[in-house]
Amino acid sequence: MPQLDFSVFPSQFFWLVINFGLMLFIMSKFIIPKTAEMINLRKEKIDGDLQKATEIKKQVEETIEKYNKALKNANSKASISLQKTKDELNETINRRQSDISAKLSAEIEAGEQKIAQSKAKALQKVEEVSVELAVDILKKLGFGGINVKDAKNALTNLKKEQL
Amino acid sequence: MAGPMEQFAIKPLIPIEVGGVDISFTNSSLFMMLAVLVSTLVLGLCLTKRTLVPNVAQSFPESIYEFIGGLIKENVGAEGLKYFSFIFCVFLFIAFGNLLGLFPYSFTFTSHLTAVGTLSLLALMLNIFVGIKKKKWGWLRTFLPKGIPAVMSVLIIPIEIVSFLSKPFSLSVRLAANMTVGHVMLKIIAGFVVGLGAFGFVPLVFDALIVCFEMFISLLQAFIYTVLTCIYLSDAMHEH
Repeated sequence: MPQLDFSVFPSQFFWLVINFGLMLFIMSKFIIPKTAEMINLRKEKIDGDLQKATEIKKQVEETIEKYNKALKNANSKASISLQKTKDELNETINRRQSDISAKLSAEIEAGEQKIAQSKAKALQKVEEVSVELAVDILKKLGFGGINVKDAKNALTNLKKEQL
Repeated sequence: MAGPMEQFAIKPLIPIEVGGVDISFTNSSLFMMLAVLVSTLVLGLCLTKRTLVPNVAQSFPESIYEFIGGLIKENVGAEGLKYFSFIFCVFLFIAFGNLLGLFPYSFTFTSHLTAVGTLSLLALMLNIFVGIKKKKWGWLRTFLPKGIPAVMSVLIIPIEIVSFLSKPFSLSVRLAANMTVGHVMLKIIAGFVVGLGAFGFVPLVFDALIVCFEMFISLLQAFIYTVLTCIYLSDAMHEH
């Protein structure tokens, strides 16, 4: 059996060490680095892409958060401004209402005074007419001695007595 | 017709003698060299056009690379990756040696205990080197595990030494025996092809099937040898 022929051992040993050494040299210097380079590059690229994706996701989340915050701010500002406008409008309305009512009451009062004056004037006129009429009636009845002045005095006296 | 064992005969091609020692370049040496050249050529050609997205050719060396890497990580741990090149070469050297041996008129150097034994010897030397480098004097503990009574050490130390040395021996015998048996079987059945005349196609088909099976065995044995080398390396690195 040739396998058990140990006389070839030195040759087998020598050439195996040489060849295996040669292979170790070629593989570790050329083949393995070349293979590993691509694998590592690929791994780096995938890891890089994943990291990029994570960063972009983070940015998107931040933007959304900012947008929400801005929206909230804008809403609160809008409601404040709305409230302010409402208050201002209410104030203006109230002020105008009170102005108008004050004006109206002043006009009513002036009108009432005018009416009172006219009434007093009219009453005075009625009195004068009544006195003149009374004097005329008395004249026609034959009491010609009585003039308008006397009649007026008599009326004034009567009024005083009544009071 | 030549006997089934004749295919294993080592024939000197270039006789060389140094200091009375015969180190002739033989057919075995030639196929060792071919294994190195073919594996380098195949992997080198596969890596000529490298792209980030691997093409079919490129994925071949990358698959082997990742396969060996996974094997080392699994059996030795991440620190074993320092010896990646050695393990990678062991796998390729044996796989290509086995596969080249399947070609008609070729020679299977992996069927020789002297050749595989040398490789195992290299693995053993690496084992010792790594063990001493890592554990210093503690490496001697390999032969006397902790917790053994002093009296027992007389018995344990020789057993452990034999066990330690038998590992590479069993490693070599397993591979060489597998290769020898496969090739003997191929040869014997091939003999029937001629012997049976008109019915020779039956063993021929059978032989063809065995060749396919042997290809599988070639890779499987290379894998087993590599795994066991990894395990021995792991023993050298870690306490057992």
